[in-house]
Amino acid sequence: MKSIKVVTFFFFFLLCVMPAMAEEPLNYEIESAGSGTQGTYLVKVWVISKKNKPDLNVIQKCAVHGVLFRGFSNKELRSAQKPLAGSALAEQTHLDFFTAFFKDNGPYRNYVTMVSPTYEIIKMAKKQYRIGATFTVQKDQLRKDLTDAGVLKGLNSGF
Amino acid sequence: MKRNLLIGCLFLLLTAPLFGQAKKPTIMVVPADAWCNANGYMAGFTTQGVTTNVPDYKAALQTDMDLLNVITKIGELMVERQFPLKDLAATIRSIEQSAAEDEMTMSSTSGASLSESPLDRLLDRAKADIMVEVLWKVNTVGPKNSVTYTLRGLDAYTNKQIAAAQGTGAPSFSAEIPVLLEEAVLSNMDNFTSQLQAYFDDLQTNGREVAVDVRVFDNGSGLTLEDEYDGTELQEVIDNWMAENTVSHRYSLSDATENRMKFEQVRIPLYKPNGMPMDTRSFVEALRKYLKNEPYNLTCKTMTRGLGRAILVIGEK
Repeated sequence: MKSIKVVTFFFFFLLCVMPAMAEEPLNYEIESAGSGTQGTYLVKVWVISKKNKPDLNVIQKCAVHGVLFRGFSNKELRSAQKPLAGSALAEQTHLDFFTAFFKDNGPYRNYVTMVSPTYEIIKMAKKQYRIGATFTVQKDQLRKDLTDAGVLKGLNSGF
Repeated sequence: MKRNLLIGCLFLLLTAPLFGQAKKPTIMVVPADAWCNANGYMAGFTTQGVTTNVPDYKAALQTDMDLLNVITKIGELMVERQFPLKDLAATIRSIEQSAAEDEMTMSSTSGASLSESPLDRLLDRAKADIMVEVLWKVNTVGPKNSVTYTLRGLDAYTNKQIAAAQGTGAPSFSAEIPVLLEEAVLSNMDNFTSQLQAYFDDLQTNGREVAVDVRVFDNGSGLTLEDEYDGTELQEVIDNWMAENTVSHRYSLSDATENRMKFEQVRIPLYKPNGMPMDTRSFVEALRKYLKNEPYNLTCKTMTRGLGRAILVIGEK
């Protein structure tokens, strides 16, 4: 009877802990890939991964996350774009919204398109790969939708 | 009694946002003086024997397609952000329509006509609270062209630069100049608007930053700002009023003489106590009413320059 209780507790514990273990922090770098067309950013995202097989969902998530909270720079032109959401603090301020926004296959996918279906994969160490891809992020639509949702402030707010 | 007062205060607090919203600043894009000078769009005018060169915006807009394209693109991007701009070309047309009226205005004693620079007319009539200056230069190295582009927003009343974006685009062998310019506008606009957003956020948190001048009419009454009332100089009375009525007592008195006080960086509340929006005129009107009462009994005139500058002239209307 006691052993059944222990096994049940163990499985219950696993059920609680496993989703948390799956939510690893996004480990990526983002840089400008040139000038996008009006209303878009062209960015290149590098994801550090244990596997050499690219996970499109994760890289897309990183592209939108980077545009929103990190900003990116263009080394050749020595210019930088500020984060769309103002700063990384915005993610904490609207944690509930962004948790749902960045869930797997969440709404973030509506704002990002892969430019060409090719990846750059660089082996850095044993079981560590640097995977890069170029994306177009629909930043104007993203800003508009987040402003309508009350997450971002518009220039018109308060007037 | 206390309960009624509490309920009244609560009612005011809850309904204040319903009365109105803060007065929205207006923005206008103009070519920078340096750009006008480099492209030959300057006009000279003489005031009291001194010749001054000022930008000829009308000639620039009628001649330079690139300028029109840049202003239109900036306007388009601002409309997308739900913040339409005042159009320079339309404003100039409006000025021309009223030019005849101004020409008919002259002094009844000497017959002198009105004296004002084109920039004065533009600022006064359009009441642009924020002037956005745009400037670019085409760089040519061998067969390659690139564009260095600058955009800066200036508060028309405090003369502070509140937002800016500047950069040089990638050199190109084949792209035409209008295409390079469009790229420059698109790639710099987000950083510019994010600084503008920070300025608006600050305005809503700490109050609108304005300038207030206090002057005295030279009407022979001998009134000065050093006159004493109950042992306190008028300058100190006005200074104390400013301290009590500004947001967090934030203002600076940059000049003070017996005839003039110049207040800068004056942070005024966005709303009056009744919830209605406040501008510099209504702020200075409150000072005028204060000075009208005992023991000062002073008659004052209020003059306004847009949302952010007002002049109180003491002595008469």
